[in-house]
Order: sequence, then structure tokens, then C-alpha cells
Amino acid sequence: MAEKIKLFVNGQEVEVESGKNLIDALGAVGIEIPHLCYHPALGADGNCRLCLVGIEDGRPPVVPACKTRAAEGMKVLLDVDNIKRIQRNVMELELINHPIDCPICDQAGECKLQDFYMKYDGQKSRMSVKPVLKAKKMDFGCGVVHDQERCVLCARCVRFTRLITKTGELGIVNRTDAARVNTFPGRPLNNRYALNVVDLCPVGAMTSSDFRFKQRAWFLTKSPGICHGCSKGCNIYIDHNREKYRDDVIYRFRPRLNAQVNGYFMCDAGRMTYKLENDNRLAAARVGEKSVELAEAVEAVRRAVSQAKKIVMVVSPNCSLEQMHAVQALAGQCNAAVSGYSDGYVQQGDGDDFLIQDDKAANRASFAILGIDSGKAGFDQAIAGADLLISFQNDLTRSLENDTLFEKTQFVLIGSYENDCAARAAISLPVASYSEDTGMVVNCDGILQEYRAAVGKISPAPSLIEVVHQLGGPFSTRDEVLADLTANVAALGGVDLKHIPAAGTALTANEVSNVAA
Amino acid sequence: MSDRSQLIETGKPFAFDAQRDAEFERLATRYPTRESLILPSLWLVQEQEGWISAEAMAYIADRIGTYASMVYEAATFYTMYNLQPKGKVHICVCRTLSCYLLGKQEIVDYLQRELGIKPGEVSADSQYSLEEVECLGHCGTAPVVQINGEFYENMNVEKLKDLLATLK
Amino acid sequence: MQVQVLSARFDIPDAHRIEVAKEHGAYATLEKVFSMQPEEVIETVKASGLRGRGGAGFPTGLKWSFLPKGLDKPVYLAVNSDESEPATFKDRYILVRDPHLLIEGIIICCYAIKSHAAYIYIRGEYTTQVKALQAAIDEAYAAGYLGESVGGRDFKLDVTVHRGAGAYVCGEETALLESIEGRKGQPRSKPPFPAVEGLYGCPTIINNVQSIASLPFILTNGPDAYKAYGTEKSPGTHLFGISGLVKKPGMYELPLGLPILEVIDKVAGGLRDGRTLKGIIPGGSSTPVLTPEEAQDVTLDYESMAAHKTMFGSGGIVVLDDTVDMVKLVENLISFYHHESCGQCTPCREGLGWMLKIVKKILRGEGTTADIDLLTELCDNIEGKTVCVLSAACTMSTRSYLNKFRHEFEAYVHSGAPVQAAM
Repeated sequence: MAEKIKLFVNGQEVEVESGKNLIDALGAVGIEIPHLCYHPALGADGNCRLCLVGIEDGRPPVVPACKTRAAEGMKVLLDVDNIKRIQRNVMELELINHPIDCPICDQAGECKLQDFYMKYDGQKSRMSVKPVLKAKKMDFGCGVVHDQERCVLCARCVRFTRLITKTGELGIVNRTDAARVNTFPGRPLNNRYALNVVDLCPVGAMTSSDFRFKQRAWFLTKSPGICHGCSKGCNIYIDHNREKYRDDVIYRFRPRLNAQVNGYFMCDAGRMTYKLENDNRLAAARVGEKSVELAEAVEAVRRAVSQAKKIVMVVSPNCSLEQMHAVQALAGQCNAAVSGYSDGYVQQGDGDDFLIQDDKAANRASFAILGIDSGKAGFDQAIAGADLLISFQNDLTRSLENDTLFEKTQFVLIGSYENDCAARAAISLPVASYSEDTGMVVNCDGILQEYRAAVGKISPAPSLIEVVHQLGGPFSTRDEVLADLTANVAALGGVDLKHIPAAGTALTANEVSNVAA
Repeated sequence: MSDRSQLIETGKPFAFDAQRDAEFERLATRYPTRESLILPSLWLVQEQEGWISAEAMAYIADRIGTYASMVYEAATFYTMYNLQPKGKVHICVCRTLSCYLLGKQEIVDYLQRELGIKPGEVSADSQYSLEEVECLGHCGTAPVVQINGEFYENMNVEKLKDLLATLK
Repeated sequence: MQVQVLSARFDIPDAHRIEVAKEHGAYATLEKVFSMQPEEVIETVKASGLRGRGGAGFPTGLKWSFLPKGLDKPVYLAVNSDESEPATFKDRYILVRDPHLLIEGIIICCYAIKSHAAYIYIRGEYTTQVKALQAAIDEAYAAGYLGESVGGRDFKLDVTVHRGAGAYVCGEETALLESIEGRKGQPRSKPPFPAVEGLYGCPTIINNVQSIASLPFILTNGPDAYKAYGTEKSPGTHLFGISGLVKKPGMYELPLGLPILEVIDKVAGGLRDGRTLKGIIPGGSSTPVLTPEEAQDVTLDYESMAAHKTMFGSGGIVVLDDTVDMVKLVENLISFYHHESCGQCTPCREGLGWMLKIVKKILRGEGTTADIDLLTELCDNIEGKTVCVLSAACTMSTRSYLNKFRHEFEAYVHSGAPVQAAM
């Protein structure tokens, strides 16, 4: 718990956390100081001059807030004539050479220049001379498009590649108003986090070629979510929109701040997994080659279950904690074996020392919490002589050495995606994916996080928990699963599963290790 | 400043010659960080080749162990680094304050007419290049012209005519 | 009026060679200096009242005393030989005519501030000067005045020359440090100040060449001998550069405090025949211009300049006569500052470019009164809002021309032509 100090803003006493610069300290209590170049992950650069504030009796009397530590008794002047004039004048100077690209610029609607102009400027242009022209629509690599004219030279992107990824592809060349961002010839952006510069850029100088011209920011609903690209569980915004005559579709993922998990960033591969939510989805239930109504497929599976002699239920490490537990309960009722076998989801050596993990599934940690065996030996034993195999979201083709399993065993897939696995299934049932459902995942660091349903399809697929219930499982709602988890799973004993904090909750080492593997 | 960021590629890899190589190693002992070698290295390239290509910058970056973008930034920021070949006779006319007051424009106009090039350009036969530069610190003997590193003070068109004849 | 304190050895043939320099007293103070405590040396310099000769005029001894005590980091000296302020042409004489004076001063300074590594930042254009300087440094190493044990003492000192490459902004002390460290010359925010966190994050003193070169005299003859020259608050001598429209432009060493008009007349030969005085730039292009009326009671010292709302600066005096078109002169100056802006912070980077375009517009005959007002307003909007004072150098000087010669700008606006026959 950080220490609090008292200072004054425009004469009013305000209590803030000590040890922070004025932008962060006052921002945390809802007082905005406009700024472009400062970013908490990148530090203060002091080049935009938009954050200049007055300090009464201060020497000097006007200081950049990003470089000024909040101090006890400090008298900050924001809403005074000279500071307001400075903000207007700095904005004017930012805008004189800025191309008014708004109608064709992706950043419109989430652009700091637009926002600050409206709030702190509002003057008409006084430019009666030609502006500085630079290069536009430059391909920097990794799907990043750069526009030198729009750039305000805040250097956030340069600092990102030097301080965070330490790959140093970007630099600001030339001096005076000829200064511009560029990559060295033949050395474009080439790192696994490059697209973060699109988020960092306060204007439309850095845009994503994937997102370019696809959707206006103000039409997007920005729902919080958790990336399922790997076991890091980076917090994201699922930016989606349901246009007239079209379905609700995700246009992009963006990282969401979580100091415990991913900080301000996410990797490019994870960012692009939004496409998996939009395209190639398991749309309709199938029996054999034929599309059927969901009820018919459910009935077919119920029949298969009642007739089978040895059933194996495989869960995906991407299932939520509740989904895994529901399947566990169903398996208990059907005397089925449960396995989380998914070695194929792990790419040994692919992870790095930043965010990317070898394990490309979001919730493997829950196997240990729930006591679900995921070893190959266990799976091989379970599958030997089995006549019915039901996979819940688990793409077994990633882990199996050959296809013989599908020839010998009747295979049912209950999942969200049209993949090789779905193609092999005798019966397949579509269920809501993680972007359409609510659930909890535990990441590689033991942090339990909740994600909430974001996308609302016109014809929504049922939740996996609902389908499990239709197959005979005991829990009809997610709440019932949560209640059972609280009652029966030791590792979750101390956690209020109905009120998971937004930033997640760290399961203590004790709790996790209490559960048998 | 015009845009200096469009680098020229020779198409051939670059390396220091023996003399520059030794000097680089000597300089490396004078600074506690490798990055400090960026400006001196750019000078070494310019001494060796007369100008600095993209390949030379990449070479410097890799030799020092720093980002190519750092070298790129320095090479474009500091205007004395030639990022294109200059003429055999590289003429820099001071354009600021006292030299301006005492007739630099006459000198520039004369050179433009005589050599057929504008400031920033190199003559077609690569003999001459012309540049207007900022205050050279010889205000008391203005106008001043620097040619291939040598200072020529109290210049006028007549003297320049004679001088160019000797430098042919 | 002229004196030979700093320039004592300038006219001695071959004084740049160590044997000749030594014959005439070079390195003679070291014996005395090494017998003093470093703190005593600092006090001596403080007592002399020596003020930084780069342009800011900050008391040198006081600057040295800002170094933190007991820090476990090396202390660096950076000697500022960037000399790029238009109208300034003094330091290079020291480098060429008496480089050992500078080296001796460096040894004195480094002993006082307990530094064992000095970097001399010399502007890239000074080609002949850097050769002379390096030759002298090599001589000093050979003679044992630099290296492992200076003058046979238990004091190690290395001096390295670092060449700039064409950026006026690198005369700004933190930009100079950035340039030594291999980066663009983009000034740093202060605090932290270089004395605490400077070169390579270590305590650093940055001093102008002339400031350092003043040290041997002060340590040899004592602070009072230095204070015998100049005024009470501006003691000592200065290498003044007088240029522009005078009969005898050149570098002249003078005590501080002399009347500016007298110096221009008596030392620099006065105006060219038939011309009248229009204005005087007193201390480098960044200093506000003085009208002839104002110049009547201006003396060449920091206090008089400040009282007349200008600055002593680098002591680079430029004389303007009635042939000068002030609007074109302003274009020349703004063009300089715009070209030299490092581009780091918004007001300077965008603002100076805008100011230049407005002046050009006025010169083309397309300007309006609103443009003149805008130019004046931009000076206020930009000044004081930037990381360093390069922008202020442009705006303070430009504002003085707008205020004192506004009629010339208005002539362009109203008639599209200058007040009189131009350059």
C-alpha cells in the first residue's frame, strides 16, 4: 500500500500516492494532465511539452509534469490562464504541420490530437504558409504502417523498440522539422511485439495494416477479455461491432493493462488470434457429413454415451475452469475417463523471457487444480479399448502421432472451431468460444482471471456448460459449477469465485500444490 | 534541412582499411561505452571513402555492437557527414550573420554560375560540390569559405576565381 | 585598450610547440597547484570571480563546487570547444596559438575537481584547429604532463578529443554530453544537472575553452591579479570578436567593462566611411540587438548588458550600419536557428520553421500586419516552453528586431519592398 501525500491543485487539496510523477499521481485521482510522449512503461521523455504545469513559488515556475515528482505541499497550477495558454499554444504548434487526414485516418475517434484539440485548444488554424511534407504509408514490417507526416515525434515507438523489445529497429533521423521516424534500410521491424507501437502511438502515425480502413473506432464496442493464445493470459480488449445486416464480428484485439500479468503489452501472435474467433468457426451441428439441428446432434451423442462400453472425455487446456469441472462431473456420472492430453499445444523453446510462453493454451494450470491428468501415458491407457471418445474443444490432431485413433474409436467433437479435428468427428456440436462466453482461466504464474462474454452473435452457439448439462451433467448453470468448485476444490477454497477482481487474483503456492496432479 | 534519410547503397560490403581499423581499436580504449564510438567511426569512414554509404553505417553498427538505427540517427543528424559522394573540390560557403553582411551571396551566386551547380549539388564531372554552411567561427575575416577542410578568409569573387584555378 | 593576459603567448612564434610554450611559462603553475588541496584550488577560482566564457557567464568556481561529495563514480571534465554561436570566433585562437595554455588549464581543473578523464568537444569544422590541438596533446603526453602520472605526480589524467560534426546545438552542455556518448545532440531535461548526473551518468563539469584557459593566469598570479582587470562583478579579460560592418574586424583581448561604442571606434576602427550606425549585436547572434541610442551607455560586462535587456553572451560583437536590411537579417538568423534545431521538442521544432516561413512570406511582399503580430506572438509562445534555450536564442533576438525595427517589417507589408536599398 503506497504512502499518501497531500498537495494542492488549483488551490484545492488533493491526496495522491507518493513516489509518482505528477501525471500519474494526479491521473490516479481523476485529474488529467494532457501529454503525448510520457508513457508509464517507457518513462518520461519530455519532448512534447504538453504536460507543462505551473508550480506556485516553484523554481522554475513551469515544469513538465512527467519529470516532476509529486511532493508534499506542492502547489500545482493547471486551470490558470498561463498554463491554459501554453496548452493551446503547444497544441497549435503540434498541428501546424499535421495533415488533417482524419477522414482517412484509422486513429480518428481514439486520437490524442483530436481529443486534446477539443479539450485544450479549439482555435482555428493560423497557418498561411506551406506545411512540411514527409513520406506516408510506409511499410515498416510486421504489419506496421507508418505515416511520417502524422507523427508528432513523441518517440514512444523508438523507446519501445530500444527499452522493451531491445531490437532497436526504429529511430528518429534528421533534425529540426525534417526529423522523422524510420527504419534503417534493409532492417525493418522484426520482433514478436512490433504491433504494440500501433497502440502506443498517440496519433495515426503507426497503424496496423491488418486493421487499416476496416472499422471506425467509435463503432467498436471495447469489451475486456483474456487472450487464449498462450498460457500468459494477457489481458485484452475485444473490439467488436455488429454492423447492420452483418453479425457481431471482432475487428481487433488490443492489450489491456494488467500490472500483474502482461503490463501494457501483448505479443503480435496473440493479437492476431482474434481472426480465429471470426473465421472458420464450427457453425452448425453435424452428424456424419450432414448438418443437423443441435437437438438432433445432442440426442445422437446421448445415444452414443448410453451405448458405449468405455468412454474417454478429453478436455482442452483452453477450456475454462468451470467447463473443465462440468466435464469432470459428467464423466463421473458416465463412468468415463477424463484426460487433458494436449502435448501438441506446447511448442518447446518458442517462449521468450517477456510474455510469450511455450504453452499455447490459456488454462493448463487448471488441470492441476482440478486433478485432471494430462499425461500421454494416462491418455494411452484410457483410450486403449475405448469405443467412444468425446473431445471438449481439444484439437487432438495437434497431439496425436497418427490418425489410427479416429478409425478405431467413435469420435465426437464439442467445440467452437472448424479444424482438422472437427473434420474427423462422427458427430460435432458447436459451442460458444471464449469471446462469447464467461469463464475463468489460471495463467502460467498462477493468476486466476475471469473473462466475460463480449461478442453477441445473431445465432449464438450454446455454452459448453449448457451442452454438458444436456448430455446429462449435473450442473445446469455456471453458478452451480462455481458453487461446487468453492465447496470441493481445496485450491480455490479461499477465493470468492463470484467476485474475481478485475486484475485477477494470485492463487498462492500452497493452494495449487495441495491438489494431486 | 532537407531530408538526409534517403541513404545510398553501393551494393558492396564495407570494411575499414588497415589504418582505420587500427585507429578504431585505439579509440575504443578511450571511451567507457561502445556507443561513444559512433561519431568517431563515422568520421573514419568519411576519411577513408569521402562519404558514408548505408553499408558503411551497417558495418559501423555491427562492429560497435549497437543498433543500425543509432548510427542512422547520428549520420543524418550531423550535417558534416557526407551521405553522398562530394566533388573533388568541396566548397562550403558560410552563410550566417557576418559572412552574410559582408557578401556571401555574391560568392554563392558566382559559384552557381561558374560551376553550374546549386548549393547541395555535385557537378556532373564530380569535380566540384557546393554547400552553404552555418557560421564557421571566422567572423572577423568574413566572408569565409572552407574548401576540403581548409579555411580561406576575407574572400571575394576575385580571390575565389584565383583560388579555384590553383585547386584544379 | 587591448591587453595580453590570455593571449600572452599568442604572438610568440611557434608558441604552440611545447618547448617554446614552456620557455614562456607553460605548465609552470603545476608545481604550486599540486601543493594545494583541490578544495583550495576551487576557492581560488571562486575568489577570482571568473565567469563562464561560453556565453552563460555562470561563476566557474561555483559550478565546480556543485559536484557532490563522496559519490562512488568517476568525475569527468568536458571542455566545450564547439564555438558555433554566430559572431563568435575566439576559442580557436587558443587551440592554434597556445594549446598548451588550455592543456595546463585542464590539468588544473581536473586536479581541483578530482577528475582523471577529460574530453575536449571540438566542432567538426575546426579541421586545422583539431590537428593543432591533437599535436599539442601528443606533446603533453610525451612530456609526461598527461597520462599515468602528471608531472611525475600521483595523478592520472587522460584527455581525449571528440569531434563534433556540424551541429550548433552541441554547444549546449547536455547536448554536448549526448554527442560524446554517441547520440544525436538532443539536450537533456534538467534536473538532473550534469554536476550530479552528466557524462555516462557520472558527475561532470562542462566548461568553455576560454574559461579553462583562464585558469593558469589565476593560479599563477592569484585571484586579485585577475580581478585587477574588468569590473567588480565582471572581473577579468575576454577575447572579444568584433565583426560585421567595421573597418578592422578581428579578435581583441580586452578587460571587461569598457564602453561598447568606444571599443568599436578605437579598437575596431569604427564604421566604414560614409556610413551610420544602425544597431549592434553585443554578444553573439542570440543576444538582443542594441540601437545606437541604447548603446550610448552600454559597457562590455554582464551587468550593463542585463540592465539593457540584452546579454554579454560570448562577446561576439557584430556592427550593423545603415545598409543593413533588418528584415533580411532576421531571416538569416531565424534560418540559422531553424536549421540548427535538434528537433526534439515541439515548440522549437515546429515553431522555428513556422517563424521562418512567415518572415519569408513578408519578404516576398505577401505578408500582412497580422503576420508581424503572429511572429511576435510566436516568440512568446515558444520561449521558455522548451527543453533547452536554443529556441530562446532565436526568439529573444528576433523579438528585439521586431520591437526596435518594426517599421522595416511594416514597410515590407505595406509596400512589398524594404525601407531602403538593401544588401
